[in-house]
Amino acid sequence: MKYAFYPGCVARGGTPELLSSSMAVLKKLNIEVEELTKAGCTGAGVLQEKNPLLGDTINVRTLAMAEEKKLNIMTLCSTCQGVLSQANHKVKKDPEYLKKINELIKDEGYNYKGTTEVKHLLWILVEDYGLDKLKSHFVKELSSLKFAPFYGCYMVRPSEALGFDEKPERQEYLEKVIESVGATAIDFPGKFSCCGFPVLFINQKNSLKMVSNQTGSAKDLGADAMVTPCPLCHLNLDGYQGKARSNNRGDKADLPIIHMPQMIALAMGIETKDVGLGRHIVSTKEILNKI
Amino acid sequence: MYDHDLLIVGAGLAGLRCAVEAQKLGLKVAVITKVHPVRSHSNAAQGGINAPLTDRGDDWKGHALDTIKGSDYLADQDAVEIMSQEAGEAVLELERMGVIFSRGDDGKLGTRRFGGQKVARTFFVGAITGSALLHVLYEQSLKLGLQVYEEWFVTSLIKHEGAVRGVVALDLKTGELESITAKSVVIAAGGAGRVFEPSTNALICTGDGLSLAWNNGAGLMDMEMIQYHPTTLARTGILLSEAARGEGAYLLNSEGDRFMKEYAPDYMELASRDVVSRSEQTEINEGRGIDGNVLLDLRHLGKEFIETRLGYLQEVSVEFLGIDMAEKPVPIRPGMHYIMGGVKTDVDGETGVPGLYAAGECANVSVHGANRLGANSLLDTVVFGRRSAEKASEYVKSVPNDIIPTEKYVKRDLELIKNIMDADGKYKVAEVRNKMATAMTKGIGVFRDQESMEYAKKIVDQTKIDYRDSIRIENKGKVYNTDLLFALELGNMIDCAESIVHGALTRKESRGAHFRTDIPGRNDEEWLKHTLIYKSLEGEITVKTPDVTITDWEPIERVY
Amino acid sequence: MKVSIDVKRFDPEKLNENHWVQNYKMDIHPSSTVLDALIHVREEIDGTLGLRCACRASICGSCGMRVNGKAKLVCKTRIEELAEEGETLLIEPMGNQPVIKDLIVDISAFFAKMTQITPFLQPDELPKQGEFIASNDSMEKLLTEMNCIMCGLCVSECTILEVDDTFIGPAALAKASRFVYDPRDSQTSDRLNFLNDEPGGIWDCTRCMQCVDVCPKDVAPMDRIMDLRETAIEIGAKKTHGYDHTNSFEKSVVAHGRLDESRLALESAGIFNIPRLLDLIPVGLRALIKGKLPPLFPHKAEDNKKIKEIAKKIKEME
Repeated sequence: MKYAFYPGCVARGGTPELLSSSMAVLKKLNIEVEELTKAGCTGAGVLQEKNPLLGDTINVRTLAMAEEKKLNIMTLCSTCQGVLSQANHKVKKDPEYLKKINELIKDEGYNYKGTTEVKHLLWILVEDYGLDKLKSHFVKELSSLKFAPFYGCYMVRPSEALGFDEKPERQEYLEKVIESVGATAIDFPGKFSCCGFPVLFINQKNSLKMVSNQTGSAKDLGADAMVTPCPLCHLNLDGYQGKARSNNRGDKADLPIIHMPQMIALAMGIETKDVGLGRHIVSTKEILNKI
Repeated sequence: MYDHDLLIVGAGLAGLRCAVEAQKLGLKVAVITKVHPVRSHSNAAQGGINAPLTDRGDDWKGHALDTIKGSDYLADQDAVEIMSQEAGEAVLELERMGVIFSRGDDGKLGTRRFGGQKVARTFFVGAITGSALLHVLYEQSLKLGLQVYEEWFVTSLIKHEGAVRGVVALDLKTGELESITAKSVVIAAGGAGRVFEPSTNALICTGDGLSLAWNNGAGLMDMEMIQYHPTTLARTGILLSEAARGEGAYLLNSEGDRFMKEYAPDYMELASRDVVSRSEQTEINEGRGIDGNVLLDLRHLGKEFIETRLGYLQEVSVEFLGIDMAEKPVPIRPGMHYIMGGVKTDVDGETGVPGLYAAGECANVSVHGANRLGANSLLDTVVFGRRSAEKASEYVKSVPNDIIPTEKYVKRDLELIKNIMDADGKYKVAEVRNKMATAMTKGIGVFRDQESMEYAKKIVDQTKIDYRDSIRIENKGKVYNTDLLFALELGNMIDCAESIVHGALTRKESRGAHFRTDIPGRNDEEWLKHTLIYKSLEGEITVKTPDVTITDWEPIERVY
Repeated sequence: MKVSIDVKRFDPEKLNENHWVQNYKMDIHPSSTVLDALIHVREEIDGTLGLRCACRASICGSCGMRVNGKAKLVCKTRIEELAEEGETLLIEPMGNQPVIKDLIVDISAFFAKMTQITPFLQPDELPKQGEFIASNDSMEKLLTEMNCIMCGLCVSECTILEVDDTFIGPAALAKASRFVYDPRDSQTSDRLNFLNDEPGGIWDCTRCMQCVDVCPKDVAPMDRIMDLRETAIEIGAKKTHGYDHTNSFEKSVVAHGRLDESRLALESAGIFNIPRLLDLIPVGLRALIKGKLPPLFPHKAEDNKKIKEIAKKIKEME
């Protein structure tokens, strides 16, 4: 199994533990990845506010790079997943627009034909690798742990860009993976909610309320940690949880936020250094104690 | 106790157009409506609004003739003349308010063809014209700060010393009954589709306005004229606009033939609605239907065209039947859609009862006669909605500023409600209504005869008794008691059914939508008349038959 | 088809135990919608159930509710698509609006937000005769927003309205776009400046796409809000934090091909906005301690010059 690898900006920036744990997991599973080092940032929806054409062009360029290598793209971030999928969907629906974009990237030799598929590591584990095969690599028991799934907006909306018409089960993969490591996936009503990251710098009051609501309600439902496939969600829910909870609920930041690959890595018994749980703002010691 | 110059019952197109005009004329206006204004059934009109615009080489007389012919010569021609003459300005006014009408290449308003008209003069917004007009009028009402009694149900009119001076109404949110006085009342409460089953109409179309007017001395005219729309979706009965045919769709029978060539060789699918419905029903009755339907075929129009010009139709077809109109033809059949009949008014909305006006579908001027042309209803609402406001603004100057003792009217309605709430009969309200509505469709259908109409009358008479003696309400609460609301609405529906049945049995000819298989011909010598039905306070029914007003267009044979 | 629904009920006239879930079972036509089931309940099983509905044809906007946690127009939601035979559906009132009774919510706040955005055409002067001249394209573009039936589903699921009721909201902002892009309206820049500057305006949307996902008429309110952001920037509206954020993002991507997170945080706060900058220090310190402070010199994309070139080409196109 080989994929064109698109780790995204944050995995190389504010969440290096995501990258290290993902690489460790991929190595154990023998999944080969070739990084698209020339690819640009997806724009995360923010670039698209000011310059949608630039955003779409950069993303189609990325898709074309993978197409040239005859590989599908693996992402580690819900936001990358969503934005790339939306760009892919847009140009597939509108051949005129695709033509316009191909004009802009043709002097690099790219000409996107629309065949690349973009898949988050979460989807790859369930769809391409298979949960049963995945389970065979697990050595640690996580059955005493309760995790609240938190997908991240871009991984679950809009449904047509993410292929939910053909594969509606994609909206349950996170719970399935949580269950595969033996842990309990909490029936968390906020699992498809927004973490508030996009308005963090614009309306911090609202952003913090959202962090408080989501982490607070997960904690109230008995979660030991929140598991998320999106590093941007992680940054907000982890980094700002202290301020958010004390401002809004008057309690402490006590819900660790772990990246989905970190959970897999723990189940696989991978060295904690690579898993990077020490890099979190909200301490993850409790989880490690419970394993 | 609230007080106004003009109180308008109903916040659909006619009601809001009247309100906006009255507000501009400086009256103290309010609208009372049982649903939020944008929920009014005007939003379901899809196809367009007619207007002859002279700068395009059209002529108001052409529209008048098409309308009169469409009405099978039952329309009062002086009224049609006014509507046709004022149509142009009425539509342009709407555009200036902000309606996003479709345009031609010259940037001026664009047209599509519609049923029963020789030229294309129907102005439209995609397939959501009614909704687009209603929302813009709602915007204008916000601009002018119109007062709205939102989710209030009028239980009766206050008639004081012979003149209508307000209403008694139930605030649905609290269950409290209150009186609202006004110097004049305009009834614009829409049609009565729920008297039939199935119907394209919303669940709220229960003939409330017709009943209110009838019970206070106004006459109901030509109630037997029930329009069955040719293209209603199989099973659900949801409306598929005539616009589809206007843009070129075909009607096919089970043999794949465009059968309209047998019935209307000139106008084909765009003949008047009663002609098309009868043609379809004949094909179905004679075995050339498919499960009681025929087919509406849009495939040749192409997906992009359908999704831009007829987007809402595609949405309905896909969502409710799972059929992509660009790929497959859609099964449709005639369905009850509109009542040409209604409260008799003159061209200014006057009903003959002092202080009481009516406009919109609930009124009958008569401009639609025995059959309404598509896209004339939206026109009717704005032209006569506006005119009613003008007339009422004159009238209210003569009304004294006295205080009406309203307690007795409120008390009377409290009694009525108490009786309903305490009733402990064996039937649920829905049961009674369903039985009557099904019988009405069977007896007063696309085709009818003496036997079927008498059957309908029998059921209606029984329903009156059941309603009085045998219903029960389960919901004894006050907040949003829809059980009570339905019982009150059923009373109104029964009034409508009664007048429809009387009108149908009175007219001894076939004209327009009233097609009697036992008397199939049109009889201008004896029946160039309206049926006009009154109900006394004691419930006695009188039928009159006034002549139709003819001006320039002598009735001739109606051929499409 | 056997149908089972759990309805979240509320009776304001009861003093205690006025919230409960009630189950109804019935056997109805296989193609029935959720509304068909609710009407069946109301007519044949339990006349006390409160809900709003009228047209049954997805045009009046009355019947918005949550079905299995997701906001839907129940008149066009077929049961067989959501549940196996006999599987129970959960039906609740719409969110973010106070419940009056059962499935009936108070919609007054929804319509009040509309009035905030001056929801009527404001032309300079009326044409002396006839109509305003406008291209069919310009009118057809407005059709997307005109399709809005004011059902409230977007408001029901809006993540920001959940935490901040001063947000103008997806429906009203989408309606505002209908006037901003109407060539006959003369108040375009006033409208844009208002929507840009006003707290709770276009920059408060968190781009969660809930409104796009639930809108039954494909109005895609969030996309309309994004259109407004783009246009507000184009006309040179006042630079808000939102503007700074997207501007910094664009600069970063064009310069490095990748995102420079630290710079983004600083520029979004505003380089000269001392209080906001000070606010970032605790977070920055914590990140530094944990070893997750983004590198001062961000990881560039290989060959990032190419992206710069693309950006330049696009600029020249405009």
